[in-house]
Amino acid sequence: MEIYLPIAEQSMNVFVLLALGGAAGLLAGMFGVGGGFLATPLLIFAGIPPAVAVASQANQVIANSVSSLQVQWRRGNVDLRMGLILLLGGMVGSSAGVSLFTWLKRVGQIDFVIAVLYVVMLSAIGLLMLAESSRTYFKRRRNPEAPRGKLHTHYMVHRLPLKMRFYKSKLYISALLPLGLGFVIGILSAILGVGGGFVLVPAMIYLLGMPTGVVIGTSNFQILFVAANVTFLQAMTNRTVDVVLALLLILGGVVGAPIGARLAAKLPGVVLRGLMGLLVLAVAGQLLTDLVRTPASPYSLGTREVLP
Amino acid sequence: MKVLLLAFLWCCAAAVEAGAQAPPPPSSMPPPAVPPPAVSPPPVSPRGGLLPAPPLAGQAPPAEPSASSDPLGPPNLIMDLSAPRVSITSAFQGESLLVFGMFDPPGEIVVVVEGPPMRETVMRKQRVLGLWLTTGRQLFDDVPSYYFIAASQPLQRLLAGRAGGEILSLEDRMSIIRPVRLGPPARLAEFRGGLVEVKRREGLYPADIGQVPIQGGRLFRADLPFPSRLPEGMYSVRAYLIRDGRIAATVSHPLPVAKVGFSADLAAWSHQEGAFYGMGAIAMALLVGWVGGTIMRRL
Repeated sequence: MEIYLPIAEQSMNVFVLLALGGAAGLLAGMFGVGGGFLATPLLIFAGIPPAVAVASQANQVIANSVSSLQVQWRRGNVDLRMGLILLLGGMVGSSAGVSLFTWLKRVGQIDFVIAVLYVVMLSAIGLLMLAESSRTYFKRRRNPEAPRGKLHTHYMVHRLPLKMRFYKSKLYISALLPLGLGFVIGILSAILGVGGGFVLVPAMIYLLGMPTGVVIGTSNFQILFVAANVTFLQAMTNRTVDVVLALLLILGGVVGAPIGARLAAKLPGVVLRGLMGLLVLAVAGQLLTDLVRTPASPYSLGTREVLP
Repeated sequence: MKVLLLAFLWCCAAAVEAGAQAPPPPSSMPPPAVPPPAVSPPPVSPRGGLLPAPPLAGQAPPAEPSASSDPLGPPNLIMDLSAPRVSITSAFQGESLLVFGMFDPPGEIVVVVEGPPMRETVMRKQRVLGLWLTTGRQLFDDVPSYYFIAASQPLQRLLAGRAGGEILSLEDRMSIIRPVRLGPPARLAEFRGGLVEVKRREGLYPADIGQVPIQGGRLFRADLPFPSRLPEGMYSVRAYLIRDGRIAATVSHPLPVAKVGFSADLAAWSHQEGAFYGMGAIAMALLVGWVGGTIMRRL
C-alpha cells in the first residue's frame, strides 16, 4: 500500500516505512540509542531527499525518547542536573547545526557531508564498542572473578575549571565537559537527524565516567529536548519536516521498542554491545561503499524553485 | 464601454466556434512575413549567443502564407482529457491521463505536454581522492518541470517543414533553457545533458517520443504518463494538426496539477506557518510516543 508523503513529495510503501520505524525502535529498546543512525541512511537509500529524511527523523526521535524516558524517569535513572547542562550545550549546538545544515544545503554539499560524517562517526564508535566488548568478554572468560578496577580514571579533562558536583552520577567534574559534549551532540543531531544517543551514551560512560545506570535516562532526557528543537527549527527554516513520514516511523517504533527491550533482557550486556558494534560498522561500511563506488549517474538535482 | 465588451465577447465566440486557433498566448504564431528565423515559443530570449538555434527553424522560406489563409478557414481540431486535473491525494502514486480528440483529415497529430517552468540546480559529482563529491553546479532557468511529446509519425518527418519552429522535440526544448550564469558551451552542454538524464530517471521527461495512434483517419489519442514525484503547477496540453509539414490547427488545454485534501492542507500549513507546523509535529510525536509507549508496556 502506497502513501503520498506531502513534504517529501513522493509516494512510498506504508509497510516499508513501518518496518523501518520498527527496526529503529528495536534498536532503541535493545541498546537505548535512538536507531536514527540506521533509519536516516535507509530513508535516503529509499529515495527520500536527505533534507526531508533528516528533519523528519528528528521528529521521530522525539517520540522514541519520550516513551523510553517515561520508564527511566519512574525508575529514577535521570541525573537532572547533568541532563540540564547537557541540554544547554545541546540547544546551542542544534541551533548552530540547523544553520550549518541550511548553508550546506545551499552550496550543494549536504549529501556528501552527511555521508562522510556518518562514516567517520559510525566506524569510530563501532570499532570502539567492538574492541571494548570483546576485551571484556575474553577477560571475563579467562578470569571470571577479576577485580572491577577503579570507578573511573582521571584524564587531563578533569583539570578544567567550573567544577560541579553531580550527586546522582557520583561525579565531581567541570561543567564545561557536559556542556561541550551537549554542543557536539546538538550539531550532529541537526545535521544527521539522529538523537545522537549512539555518540552520547558511549561518551557519557567513557569520557564523563558516569555510572551506566543513569546514562540511558539522562541521555534520553537531553535527546528529547534537542530533537524537539531541531524539529522546530527545521520546520521553520527548511520546511522539510514530513509529519506523515514521521508518524509512520513513530508507529513502527512504538511497536519495535518493547520487543527490543525484551530481547535485551535475555542477552548479556557484553554480547549486546558487541552486536551493536557490528551493526554500526555494517552501516558505516555500506555508506563508505556508496561514497567510493562510481555512481550510476554523476548528476543530481538540487532544490527546484518555481519561477515567478 | 458596453459595445467594446460585446465586440470582445463576439470575437471570443467566433474563435471558439472556429474551434481551431487556440487562445492567443500559447499559440501566437510568428507572423509569416518576418524573415529572420521564426524561432519557437514567445518568452524565450536566449541570453548569450552560445545557444544553438533550433536546427529545424526557418528552413523553409516564409513565402507560403500560414494556414489561416485557407479559403475554408482552419480545419477542425478538438481535444479533451480524461480528467480535468491531476489531484495529488494521499493515495497518489503517479497517474496516466488520456488525451483524445478528433480532426479533419488528412493530417498527422503532435501532442505536447509541458509543466510549469522552474529554476533547476544541476549538480555534478566527481571523484576526488577516491571519494565522489559534488564539484560543480549549474543553474538553469525556464526548465520545463515536465515535458512530453508524442506524435503519430516520426517527428523529423513531421517537423521538416515550418512546424519545427513552434513544435519542439525534447532536445530542441532543452537547447533553449537559460543558464543562470554563463560558462563555456561545452560545460553547459554537459550539465544540460545531466539535467535531461536526471529528469528522465524521475519520469518527468518520459520518453523521447510517445505514440499517437489514429483511428479511422480522424480520431487520435495519447497516454500521458505522470510519475508519483510530480511538481505542482499549471501544465499545458497542446495538440497540433500537421499538414504538409505545416501547422494547420492548434488546440490547447490547461491542466492543473495540485495536491488536494489532507496532503494539500499539510503542505500549505508547513509553508505558511512553519512555526505552528513545527509545534504541531512536536506535539504529535510527544503524544504518540507517550500513549504508544504506555499501551505497549501494558501488553
